Amino acid sequence: MLDKLEKAIDTGQPLGASYVEIRGESGFIEFIQMDDGRINALTQRLEQGIAVRVLVDGAWGFVSSGNPDTAEDAVKSACSMAKSAASSRKEPIKLADTKTFQETITSTAKRDPRDVDIEEKVQYMKNLTKHISDYDERISAITVKVRTSSGKKFLVTSEGTQIEQHGSLVWVYPWVTGKENARLSAARYEEASTNEGWEFFDRFATPEYIGDKVAEKVKLQLEGVPAKGGSFPCVCGPRVIGVLAHEALGHLAEADLTIQSAFGGKRGEVVAAEGVNMIDDGTLKGILGTSKYDDEGVPTSRVEIIKDSVLTELMTNREYASKIDQRTTGNARAESYLYPPIIRMRNTFFEPGEFNREELFEGIEFGYYCSDFRGGQAQMNASFQVGIQEAYEIVNGELGRPVTDLSISGIATDSLFKIEGIAKGPFPWEQGRCGKGQEAFIAAGGPDVRFAKGGITFGGKD
Amino acid sequence: MRDEQQLLELCKYVVTHAEKKGVSDIEVLARYSSALNVDLELGEISSVNQNMGVQIAIRLYIEKRMGSAFTNIATNAACDDAVEMAIAAAKTVDPDPDWVALPEPGKYSEIKGAWQDSVLEIEPGKVVGFLAQLSKDLAQAEEGLIPAYGNWGTDFEYKAYANSNGIEIAERSTDSYAVAQAVAKTETGMTPGVFAYDVDRGTDIDSESVVKDISETIRICKTAVEGKTGKFQVLMHPFVYGQLMQYTLVESIKGDNVARGKSKIGDKMGEKIAPDFLSIYDDGRNPEFLNSSVFDDEGRPRQRTPIIENGILRSFLWDTYWANKMGVSSTGNASRNMRRGLVEISPSTIYIEPGKRSFEDIISGVDYGYYIRGVQGAHSSNPESGDFSVVGNPAILIEKGELKGTVHGLMVSGNIFDLLNQIIEIAKDPIPLIGLTAPQILFGDVSIISKD
Repeated sequence: MLDKLEKAIDTGQPLGASYVEIRGESGFIEFIQMDDGRINALTQRLEQGIAVRVLVDGAWGFVSSGNPDTAEDAVKSACSMAKSAASSRKEPIKLADTKTFQETITSTAKRDPRDVDIEEKVQYMKNLTKHISDYDERISAITVKVRTSSGKKFLVTSEGTQIEQHGSLVWVYPWVTGKENARLSAARYEEASTNEGWEFFDRFATPEYIGDKVAEKVKLQLEGVPAKGGSFPCVCGPRVIGVLAHEALGHLAEADLTIQSAFGGKRGEVVAAEGVNMIDDGTLKGILGTSKYDDEGVPTSRVEIIKDSVLTELMTNREYASKIDQRTTGNARAESYLYPPIIRMRNTFFEPGEFNREELFEGIEFGYYCSDFRGGQAQMNASFQVGIQEAYEIVNGELGRPVTDLSISGIATDSLFKIEGIAKGPFPWEQGRCGKGQEAFIAAGGPDVRFAKGGITFGGKD
Repeated sequence: MRDEQQLLELCKYVVTHAEKKGVSDIEVLARYSSALNVDLELGEISSVNQNMGVQIAIRLYIEKRMGSAFTNIATNAACDDAVEMAIAAAKTVDPDPDWVALPEPGKYSEIKGAWQDSVLEIEPGKVVGFLAQLSKDLAQAEEGLIPAYGNWGTDFEYKAYANSNGIEIAERSTDSYAVAQAVAKTETGMTPGVFAYDVDRGTDIDSESVVKDISETIRICKTAVEGKTGKFQVLMHPFVYGQLMQYTLVESIKGDNVARGKSKIGDKMGEKIAPDFLSIYDDGRNPEFLNSSVFDDEGRPRQRTPIIENGILRSFLWDTYWANKMGVSSTGNASRNMRRGLVEISPSTIYIEPGKRSFEDIISGVDYGYYIRGVQGAHSSNPESGDFSVVGNPAILIEKGELKGTVHGLMVSGNIFDLLNQIIEIAKDPIPLIGLTAPQILFGDVSIISKD
C-alpha cells in the first residue's frame, strides 16, 4: 500500500495543495457478541482504506475511500473540495512546523489476535459468562462483547513523513443484569490493550478477573441504598477521578474546544486548589492511549495541563498549535480512515499527592466514596455529569453501605478549587473509550481525591 | 455503484454462491452511500469532506450455527471470500436451538419522496455558501454569539437485501441536514452550548429556524440565575426526554430485552402504564420522517406499531429472531451494525401524539419550574431499572410564566416509568427530530437538585 500512497502524494502540489497527507489502513478486525451464552454476532473482516487530507489556499479538503487504488483520484477530489471552502475563509489555516519522520514501528503483541483460533476466543467468552453467572444467583442476563484487530497503519505526507505502524487491539466488555423480585439492576466493565495481543486475556483480563469485577458491582447495586440528593463531601476513587480528569477537565483543555470553553483565555491562571497537577501523557509504556506518533506524524508527549494549580498547556494538533502559538503535543487522532484526525486525549490523570488514603476520609460525618462510573459527559460551560455505578456512604470517616445508581455533577472550574486532599500513588488505570464524533481508546486515572462539600453535587432521589 | 439494482444483483449473486457452497440459509444486506459535508469551526468554514463507500454484511446459518462476515469491496471475489469467512465462523460456534428461520417476504410499499434528485445536483461550493451564511446569520442574531460548530451535508444511499427465502428488494434515499452549535461569553464564564438542526429529504433546509432557535435560547442563557432544590414542574424539550427514553423506556420495549428478562415492563402488556392522554407509536413508514424506509435491515417491511395507546402498553418491538423465539411477528425493527455483523432491535421514529395547547401557553401557566432544553449524561441511565440522574444544560428557570435565565449545574433525577405518570401536559406542535417527532412535555413533581 505504501507505494500507492507515495505515488499519490505528488498529485496534490500541482493542484495548489500546500500540504498533502494520506493515511492508509489494512487489517483484520473482529467482533464477537455472546448473549447469555449464545453467539449473537461473530464477524471477522479484512478491511482496507485510505484517508486523504489536503490544505489548499488555507482550507481543508478530506476524502476517504475503501479502495487504495483510487488514492490519486482522492487527492484530486480533496483539492477540489478544499478550493470550494477556501474563498469563504477570512484567516487561512496554517500548520505548526514539525520535524518529519521515517520509521517502521513493529507490533509488541506476543499473540497476534488474528492468529488465535475462534474456538479459543469463544471459549474465553463462555468462561467469562459462566464465571459471572456463578457469582450470584440473582444475576439474570449476561452480554459479553469482544473486539480484536491486527493490522498496519501508514502515514505519508508531502513534507516527507513516512510512518508505518503495526499494531493490535484486544477489548472485552461485559454488561450484566441482576434481578431480585421486581428490582432490576445492571453494571458494566471493560478492559483493553493496544500494547499486548491475546496474551492480555491470558495474563491479566482473565474471565475470573473481569467476571469478579462486574458481578460484584451488580451485587452491590442490588443491595445498595438510594443516594441522597444534594452536595456532600466526597472521595473519588481512581476510576471516577480519572473520568473527571477526562470528561470534566480534559475536554476543556483540547485546544479546538478551549477557545469556546470555560478554560478559554485562562492559560497562566490559577484554576485549581493548591497541589493539583493534571496531565495527559501519550508516552506511558503499556497504557491504552499510548502511541509513538499521532495521526499527523507528530511524536506524542506529556502535556502538563494543570501544573501546580495553574492552567499551563493545552492539547493540540498542528492547526491549533499554530492558531494558539503553542507547541504540537501529538494529540491528533483519527478513529479510522473514515475520519480526519482531530484533537483527542490519550492517558489523562491527576498526579498523586501527599495524603495517606485513610486521611482523606477523616472528619467526614456523612459523604460518599465514588468508586466506579458508567458514562460521563461534559459541556463547554464546564458543567459535567458522571453516572456512578459503584459508590458507598462515608459515615464518621468510615466506608459504609453501598449505594444504588446515582450520578454526580458540578462545574469543573469550581470543583477544582474544592479539592482538599490527594492521596499518594500509585493508582490503577481505567482503560476506556471516548466519543467526540469518533471513537478513541483512552486511559484515565488518578489516586483517591477528596472534595469539600460544594464541590460535587449528588443527583440522588432521597 | 450505478444504482440500487446493481447492488441487489450483487446480493443475489452472494446468495446463489453460498447456496452452491451448501449453505441453505443466508442473507445479505448491502449499502452504498455517498456523503458530502462541510464543517464550520468558530465561525469559519474549516473543511469540505467526502465519504463514499460500500458495506456488505452477510449472515448465514449452517445447522443452526450462525456465522457472519463483512466486506467493503463490492466485487464477486471479495464477497466469495466473505462467504468463506462466515462459513468458517459458523463451523466454530454451538448450534442455537432457538433459531427458527431467516425472514420471509412481506408486502412492501414505496416511501413517497424518499429520493430527491436535487440532492445529487448540489455542488460543494453551494453547500459551503449555505453554511457560511448560516454562520453569519447566527453571529448577527445575538450579540456575543459565537457559532462554535456547524455542519451542512447531503447524502444519498442505495440499499439492497436478498436472502435464501426469496426476499430480493432494494431502495434508495436522499437527505440533507444543517446543524449548528453556539455559545456566548457571559460576565462569569460561558453559556452552555446550544444546538439546533434541520433535516430534509431534499435540499430544503430551514436555516432561519435553526438561527432563531439557537439565538433565542442563547439570549436567555446569557442571564445566569439561581435554582432551588425540591420537586417542581419541569418542561422538557424532546431533545431531553427523547434521550432519557432512548436509554431507558426504549430499551424496555425491545423484544430481546423483554425475552431476556431485562425489561421492567416486560410483564405489563395490556396494562396501564401512563396517563390516558399519552400515546406513543413507532412509525417506520411516515414519509415525513427521515428514518422511514421500505424495509428494515433484514428485509422485513417497516410498519407503524402502537407502543402505548391511551396510556396502555400495546406492543414491543421485534426483529425476526426474537419474534420467532417468542411466537410473535417481526415489527420491522431490525437494525444491523454492518461492520460488526450485529443485528439488533431499534425503533424507526418514535412519534408522540401532540396535545392541545401551545408551548408558550403551557409556560405561561407555570408559576415556578424549569424548562430543560438539553441534557448531559442520559447515556449513564440504568436501562434495566429505568433510573436516571442527569444534568439539565441548558436548564432555564421559569417564574410566573416567564423564562428568566439559565441555572448552571441543575440535576434532574427520577425513574422513567414513574416519569410517564408524572406527565401533566403535552404541547400541541410536534418537533421533527431524527428518530423522534414529538412536542415539549410538562412533567410534575420532578426531583431537582440545584448546586449549592
